Amino acid sequence: MIGRMLRLFWRQMNVQLQIRTFNLYTLLLLFVQPFVFSAVGMVLSQVAGNQKPDLVYTVIGGGILGMWSGLVFSSTFDIGRDRRDGTLEFIIGSPTPYSVVEAVRTLTNVLTGLVSLLAAFLVAVLVFDYTLDQVQVLPALVSLLLIVAGMWAIGVFLANFLVWSRLSGSIVEFFEFPVAVVCGFMYPIRILPEWMQAISAVFPIRWALEGLQAALYGVSDMNFYAGRWGMALALGLLFWLTAHWMERKVHDLIRVSGEMSSI
Amino acid sequence: MSNNAIEVNQLHKEFTTRVGFWSGRRKTTVAVEDISFNVHQGELFGLLGPNGAGKTTTTKVLSTLLLPTRGSVRVLGMDVVTETRTVRKRIGFTFGGARGLYGRLSGHDNLRYFAELYGLEPALARKRIAEMLEVVDLTERRNDRVENYSSGMVQRLHLARALLHDPELIYLDEPTVGIDPVGARELRQTIKNLIALKKTILLTTHYMAEAEELCDRIAIINHGRIIALDTPASLKRQVSGDTIFEIEIDAALLDELQRQLQLINHRLTIQVSEAYPNKKVNVRTDQPEAVLKYLTLFISSGHVHGLEVRNHSLEDVYVSIIQGKQE
Amino acid sequence: MIRWLTRYVRLYFIQAWFAYRSLFSWSTPFNYFVSKFGFSFFALIYFVFIGQFVGLSDPLYIVLGNILMIPATNGVSGISLTVGNERQFGALSYLLGSPAPRAPLFLGRGFFHILDNFITVSVALPVAILLFHYDASQANFPLVMLCVLITSFTTSGMGFIMGSISLVNRDGWMITSTLSLALYILVGVNFPVTALPGWLQSVSYSLPMTRGILAARMALVGSGWDSIASLILGEVLIGMLYIAVGYGMFLVLERRSLVNGSLDSL
Ligand SMILES: Nc1ncnc2c1ncn2[C@@H]1O[C@H](COP(=O)(O)OP(=O)(O)OP(=O)(O)O)[C@@H](O)[C@H]1O
Ligand SMILES: [Mg+2]
Repeated sequence: MIGRMLRLFWRQMNVQLQIRTFNLYTLLLLFVQPFVFSAVGMVLSQVAGNQKPDLVYTVIGGGILGMWSGLVFSSTFDIGRDRRDGTLEFIIGSPTPYSVVEAVRTLTNVLTGLVSLLAAFLVAVLVFDYTLDQVQVLPALVSLLLIVAGMWAIGVFLANFLVWSRLSGSIVEFFEFPVAVVCGFMYPIRILPEWMQAISAVFPIRWALEGLQAALYGVSDMNFYAGRWGMALALGLLFWLTAHWMERKVHDLIRVSGEMSSI
Repeated sequence: MSNNAIEVNQLHKEFTTRVGFWSGRRKTTVAVEDISFNVHQGELFGLLGPNGAGKTTTTKVLSTLLLPTRGSVRVLGMDVVTETRTVRKRIGFTFGGARGLYGRLSGHDNLRYFAELYGLEPALARKRIAEMLEVVDLTERRNDRVENYSSGMVQRLHLARALLHDPELIYLDEPTVGIDPVGARELRQTIKNLIALKKTILLTTHYMAEAEELCDRIAIINHGRIIALDTPASLKRQVSGDTIFEIEIDAALLDELQRQLQLINHRLTIQVSEAYPNKKVNVRTDQPEAVLKYLTLFISSGHVHGLEVRNHSLEDVYVSIIQGKQE
Repeated sequence: MIRWLTRYVRLYFIQAWFAYRSLFSWSTPFNYFVSKFGFSFFALIYFVFIGQFVGLSDPLYIVLGNILMIPATNGVSGISLTVGNERQFGALSYLLGSPAPRAPLFLGRGFFHILDNFITVSVALPVAILLFHYDASQANFPLVMLCVLITSFTTSGMGFIMGSISLVNRDGWMITSTLSLALYILVGVNFPVTALPGWLQSVSYSLPMTRGILAARMALVGSGWDSIASLILGEVLIGMLYIAVGYGMFLVLERRSLVNGSLDSL
């Protein structure tokens, strides 16, 4: 069973890498978009009179933004492509449940997005002499893991909309940036108006991200982390369960409408 | 369990689509209207009918890709609505056309991916993929990207994909679309070999000769309803047992021939068409011997430039059934 | 001459009409809303918050810049996306196989976007001004709108360049839409071009849009025609240069794409 899952994971990853991700241009997206936002952040910081940009938010936050945009873009792209190519129908018609295929696919996309974060880290360290001395390594890693898990859960949740119909698929594209705005990858949540903070509380990545940022700043208060991680975990689970419930509904809906074969 | 591989009972499928930009108005299209039929184990069953008749819709319901609006469909003894996953393991399907494969991957990689989705163990997958590539004659081109395949090659790869997991029941929706005559003949041979292996096949096609050659039984479907269902032979009998003569003669002799033929007492219809500089006379009759007797006179005169005698083909039957229903 | 002209104009509007029709054929009010308040709108908000975080006291510069950028973006990405879309629907071969002249064929598709975005700006600008209590008593609105209109056309040259990349490369639309993000740094949308390093400033001034946006900003604070005329003239010249180069490139690469048969590959 586990062997089967691993093989499926490997095969799916291969397919995706060959079709799209390994494609030079998708990589470009993973680097260019965070670069542009980071660069704007840096120049703005300079215009505002700061000596040095805030590395955690302006530089590494750009990497997180890249991860997120990369995830939404590639999920949208992959499913849209399956729809156009007509492969969606054949995948759904196979005995492997679509939810499994989608889970693996989304994980691939989230992991690919780490490239973006890595690049941002390298820029922070190599270009801006960001020192890693104060970093709380373990909390940072746990938080990062939760970010990956949270993005994955949101990814499989959004995938349902993309499979459901083209119309609902466009909602996904719509949500890419609003989520980025409220989750505050490149600025702390506290600068947002109250109501936006309230919205962002729904997203597991927001909590995990606060953990990561605190770990990078060297916060050692374990209670702080525990609360954030708990929220991230609980919300991630909630997203995943909702996604799972939706998957069954969507599977029925598309077989009533025949939407999966429409271009 | 009965020996029916497919049991369709009062299957009804309609689609609801939205029309217009602002209005929420909906339109209902009935694709399949209360049809019932059975396909026996080991049978090659043909589904024929004009564009939009509901063939693909039926096939998709049978392959669990569409849910019926009403009615029951049992496949290999299982309900397609409730036992979806088990059904999927044991059926294979293709839908004609170029879509459904990853263009940027090689043929081989496409098969490997789908082998995984069908849960084949790696060793078995390797063996089956090699075999299937051989069956559809793509071994040489297996490492080329599918986007560079010709449309016939794509069709064949579709078939290989459908057969990978050795399904008992196979749906082939227009499998020979876009395949050249030689390739189509080979594909038909492949299909016959599958029957020899005791597979059950549901085939839709627009090529009547193909259906006639392959199918044990045929259902003709129009506007979502089955309007005829029988073996090709009895379908042909059902319409008429007429023999058709096509005679090409000098234009000058047309009147003479027509007069002579009128003298035959039996039922007979004559149609004349141009075949410049000659005339073509199409004679249908249930008494071919009598017509032949008169014709021999003309043949010896040396003014007959062509003579073809044939029975009704399935195509004639199909056309007359479809048109008959439309009138 | 007259017949030639009417043919071009007719083709332009027929294209525009079809683009408009297909834009709305399967979409709903929601889709329209999405395309309207999609990336540009939220990028604006995002930049404002980034600015606030780094300590900028006044977000107005960013707000106005991003609004002025709206009509420019479609000039840039419109043609490239058109090529990409046609490719996806397998219609590119038919489009390019037709004897129709290319300029109206592809520019026409942008018409309703330009119109639509022009209206968006006319609405968004006053709203932003009210929302941020900007003192607009000095502003010269007709002049601002003129700048907006000009930039939406001057950017189409760049659109041709990117569109021709999409012609020969099936992933071209991905490259170009990504690269065009760089405009958010270069053309003075979020901060004055002078905040950039010297060599980048010369890049900025060799791009369309930079002068147009600057001119619009000046008109907003009350500059008259006299003081921005040179900027507008520069914008028009740069724009025409890009259109000439881009159109030429489009024609050359179109030939290339016919040679290597890359038209409808996905
Ligand atoms: N997803 C769908 N949504 C709405 N209507 C549909 C859908 N799929 C099929 N139809 C309609 O159902 C009817 C039957 O279509 P179907 O594809 O089954 O025909 P077919 O017999 O396979 O035709 P062809 O020979 O052209 O392949 C048609 O009127 C078609 O427009
Ligand atoms: Mg069909």
